Amino acid sequence: MTAVATADARRQGIARTGMLAALASETVFFGTLLSAYLFMRLDQPGWLQITATPARLILPVLNTSVLVVSALAVTLGERAVARGSQRGLAAGLAAALVLGLVFVGGQILEFSSNGMRPGDQAFGGVFFTLMGFHALHVLAGVVLLGINLVRTRLGDFSPARHIAVTMGTWFWVYVTAVWLAMFVGLYLI
Amino acid sequence: MPADAHALTHARPTPASPGRPGLLGWLSTVDHKRIGVLYLGSGLLFFLLGGLEALLIRLQLARPGETLLGPDIYNQIFTMHGTTMIFLGVMPLAAGFGNYLIPLMLGARDVAFPKLNALSYWVFLFAGLLMNSSFVFGGAPSTGWFAYAPLTERAFSPGTGVDFWILGVLLLGLSTTLGSINFIVTILQLRAPGMSLNRMPMFAWTMLVTSMIAVFALPSLTVAILLLLLDRQLGTHFYNVAQGGDALLWQHLFWFFGHPEVYILILPAMGMVSEIIPVFSRKPLFGYRVVAYSSVAIGFLGFTVWAHHMFATGLPSAALLVFSADSFLIGVPTGVKVFSWLATMWRGRLRLTTAMLFAIGFIALFVIGGLGGVSLAVVPVDWQLTDTYYVVSHFHYVLFGGSVFAILGAAYYWFPKMTGRRLGEGLGKLHFWLTFVGMNLVFMPMHILGLLGMPRRIYTYAAGKGWEGWNMIATIGAFVVALSMLVFVVNLIRSLRRPPTHEADPWDANTLEWTTASPPLAYNFAEIPTVRSARPYWDAKHPDLADWKARR
Repeated sequence: MTAVATADARRQGIARTGMLAALASETVFFGTLLSAYLFMRLDQPGWLQITATPARLILPVLNTSVLVVSALAVTLGERAVARGSQRGLAAGLAAALVLGLVFVGGQILEFSSNGMRPGDQAFGGVFFTLMGFHALHVLAGVVLLGINLVRTRLGDFSPARHIAVTMGTWFWVYVTAVWLAMFVGLYLI
Repeated sequence: MPADAHALTHARPTPASPGRPGLLGWLSTVDHKRIGVLYLGSGLLFFLLGGLEALLIRLQLARPGETLLGPDIYNQIFTMHGTTMIFLGVMPLAAGFGNYLIPLMLGARDVAFPKLNALSYWVFLFAGLLMNSSFVFGGAPSTGWFAYAPLTERAFSPGTGVDFWILGVLLLGLSTTLGSINFIVTILQLRAPGMSLNRMPMFAWTMLVTSMIAVFALPSLTVAILLLLLDRQLGTHFYNVAQGGDALLWQHLFWFFGHPEVYILILPAMGMVSEIIPVFSRKPLFGYRVVAYSSVAIGFLGFTVWAHHMFATGLPSAALLVFSADSFLIGVPTGVKVFSWLATMWRGRLRLTTAMLFAIGFIALFVIGGLGGVSLAVVPVDWQLTDTYYVVSHFHYVLFGGSVFAILGAAYYWFPKMTGRRLGEGLGKLHFWLTFVGMNLVFMPMHILGLLGMPRRIYTYAAGKGWEGWNMIATIGAFVVALSMLVFVVNLIRSLRRPPTHEADPWDANTLEWTTASPPLAYNFAEIPTVRSARPYWDAKHPDLADWKARR
């Protein structure tokens, strides 16, 4: 290996390990939030909860699919840059970014259309907190994707060097997966 | 030391100061050594502040019916004493040694994320100042370092003290998480060629496990205090039973962090001792792999014992059984380490330097603290002794006798590397003996006070319960410890004012940090060495007796 290739490999190793450690920490964060909520529900017959009727689930399911599609878009974008397609990368990032913003808008709509407030018994706070912290992560992801989009325009990425794109993809897919867990926790169980 | 001992580094350039000169250099530095020194300096100042708070506590409790502080101030002082010592004293001091030493020990030029490293430090400093500023802005938090909800809810703690505490701890959690990710990546990715995990210095092993514990444990604390903040500021009801919240939730969340936190405080100390004892016994660490893997075992088991802090809360008996059994179990890897250190010293050629004295003191006192812990793992014993001075005594033997002793030993051991000067051995031995005697005078009587039923966190007590004498002894001991710290500070200042000798390897040590200049070069090593055993510098100094040859 040339010295440049070695330095690149080391940089990628550093980025991957760092991101894995950060996501591990995030997993405990969201896992703790969910467990705290489920722990509170134990032995509480009068627990206020969203009743998951089909009509009630339309908006959340739509929102969820928007996020899942955005995760697909960002993954396809990363595959594109590995093949050398700058245009494919830019399209994937831009699509995911817009869908991410649509998702956050949808979550705000979902929260306000519920007529629930953070102070409405314990569940109001749970609903607000789980959705809120997740939405903050989506917004952080939007910023990451935005930076990567600008860097794509600047020609920073190549098939061999695009670790920042890969990390952005990891984060975005991770945040999508977290939402699937939140969705099950909030609406289905 | 043989003449060719310096073969590893060939040329030894004169020490250069890393980065820009002057104050601006320190403010803008991203060099791991300078950040390490900043952590150590700030940690020491906060440690001394926490020590002053301890003196106030001991003065208030010296005699029955004392009126020096009064209940409100007393609560603020003991809350800030605990919070300061844990988050602003011991953790930053460990982080300081980690920052300074880990890249040097691994044969790296810096940590993986130098700018993130600087951010971690400045966030920590800001959080520490923020929390302490609460003393002048409406009163410090007064709910104890574990800040139980619902006591910390607005209804019961209406002032801003708890909010200062929440924001401070949130920021410290952020700082520690970033710092830990940095250590993990540095240790996993930036080791010198040939340094497999099983050839790392033991301090690197313990910092790796500590950082992993921090990454997995701190989010639980973050969640706990975020929910508390929302309860206080936004009117949610996470800890409000009347509205469907849960009063025990805080304790579960807090101790799921809080118990692993104990290992965050003690594991780096164990790593330091594992470096010091082999060097001053002139033997390799006994059972290197066993010591390394027992740290990993402690890391895992540390997450399974949190509810032993909650035995008195009415947990189901099955839970009591499991958490009690796990708490006994964690004594096993801990005991393994103690026997490894003793076996390392066994038939070694001991050099009783101050660093070694502190390391040996660590073993003795940590064992006492550990045994106190094992006794508290017995549920009925815990029911009798929980929230008494017995518990206070137990964790001070672990955290003062353990963590602080190791840190002081580390200070004597690595000070020559950091400054090019040794700390005075005469004053050092005085420092050690005063600390050792004073520490036992403070905390041994607390075992008895706990057995006599004295609850912790009371600001005063009536005469005639048999507590007066023991309390007076503890207070006298506290001043002996204070005197010892004064000796330490004098020793630091006197040594720094002496001209440097720049000894690269004053202790005839085994690990890579001693192969470079004292203080080290800005870029640490002129040439990154190739490592063939856990004692690379030993190998270089004794080519015929090299460890990697002995294995063959």
